Amino acid sequence: MSLSQTCLHDEHVKLGAKMVDFAGWHMPIQYTGIVSEHKSVRERVGIFDVSHMGQIFISGDEASSFLSYVTTWDISKLADGDCRYCHILNDDGNIIDDTIVYTFDKKNFMLVPNASMISKVFNWLLSKSKNFSVKVDNKSEDYFCIAVQGPESLRLLRQYLNVSISPFKLTKLDDLIISGTGYTGEKGYEIIGPLSECLTVWQSFLDMGAIPIGLGARDTLRLEKGYLLSGTDFNGSQTTLESGYSWVIDWKHDFIGKEKLVSQKESDYASLSGILLEERGVLRPGLPVFFNGNQISKLTSGSLSPMLKRGIGLSYLDLPIGTNVNIQVRDKQLKGRVIHTPFL
Amino acid sequence: MSEIPENLSYTEDHEWVGPNEGDGVKVGITDYAQDSLSDVVFVELPNVGDTYQRGEVMAVAESVKAASDIYAPIAGKIIAVNDKLEESPELVNESPYGSGWMVVIEPSEDMSALIDAESYKNSLD
Repeated sequence: MSLSQTCLHDEHVKLGAKMVDFAGWHMPIQYTGIVSEHKSVRERVGIFDVSHMGQIFISGDEASSFLSYVTTWDISKLADGDCRYCHILNDDGNIIDDTIVYTFDKKNFMLVPNASMISKVFNWLLSKSKNFSVKVDNKSEDYFCIAVQGPESLRLLRQYLNVSISPFKLTKLDDLIISGTGYTGEKGYEIIGPLSECLTVWQSFLDMGAIPIGLGARDTLRLEKGYLLSGTDFNGSQTTLESGYSWVIDWKHDFIGKEKLVSQKESDYASLSGILLEERGVLRPGLPVFFNGNQISKLTSGSLSPMLKRGIGLSYLDLPIGTNVNIQVRDKQLKGRVIHTPFL
Repeated sequence: MSEIPENLSYTEDHEWVGPNEGDGVKVGITDYAQDSLSDVVFVELPNVGDTYQRGEVMAVAESVKAASDIYAPIAGKIIAVNDKLEESPELVNESPYGSGWMVVIEPSEDMSALIDAESYKNSLD
């Protein structure tokens, strides 16, 4: 199967990016270097091509009650212009994908699923929509998405479009949807629009001095903040509680998977925890985690925090914060400590 | 283009070996290797006194994305390691043939297994 390309593929190649296969897409992993790109976002402003992510539109009289049913959040409580991060669960309470719900008005919404989950989420929503008066439209191939992130990002938005945006709010400007969202923990926003405007938006931000950022730094940026990576930190067999994201559950409404969560809530379960390496080293996904000499888990995510210069990772653990663990790196067991995320 | 100094010897695994200085020879990774690795964020070095056969893994250089084994280019004993890489692994990127050196090996064999700059350059093409 050949790899999909975003509308900006040739621009990445022109900029000299190292290109890799990511979820079936030919994407830039880095342009100049992961560490310098990471720091550009923390200290200045970076732009990311995230056009591989999906856009699924939900419209109709019962759109809001439908979305409340298929997500962990009570979407009917959202006001026009609100964005909400939540999870889509299967009947067993396990996370299918995490997503942001965009509220245009009471009858029109958009979901942004992860690239590798677009068709799965779309088919799931379709199958659950039969008893609702809603239309579910997958328009992922018609839209680009560019994330602009970093302390200087809002200044560039004012300069370029003369608008401002608040966290988790959205605004429409002609064909563009601008939302105060992102995956870096910095101030910033994402711009979604028709493919015809993709290149103009990208080039305008480059011209204003934004630094192009690849998927490598996108991963270290999100990991420092403890954000989940779909398919890595959850892969179809973990609940929202286990993922450590209980705050995305509104318990006062009915939704698919709720039964499992209600019973799990009262039990002991391993949940996704941060591990900070106490010695020099780099953590990697899949490395074994030991407690009292026994392997108890593996890392789902792992890397080196470019800001802390320490190994950081995530693992499903049933251990209190502060517990000392060991991580097997090659022939050594390195000391680590269970900590609350975010790391930074 | 990768820089490949004429006065060094090489392996096809992208290690370089310096000329004899006292009891041993300096060893590091080539410009090509540091560029392929990209940002080196961690280097695991052997202990002074360790001995290695040619081709054994003696060190590891890690970038944010990947870990790469570094092989002993010749058999021998480690008589010094570059402690500066502990605090400043980026020296491997900034100066692979200079301050980014990794170890000094006291060889227990001759250098005949190594290749010269021109052969190394050809191996990259």
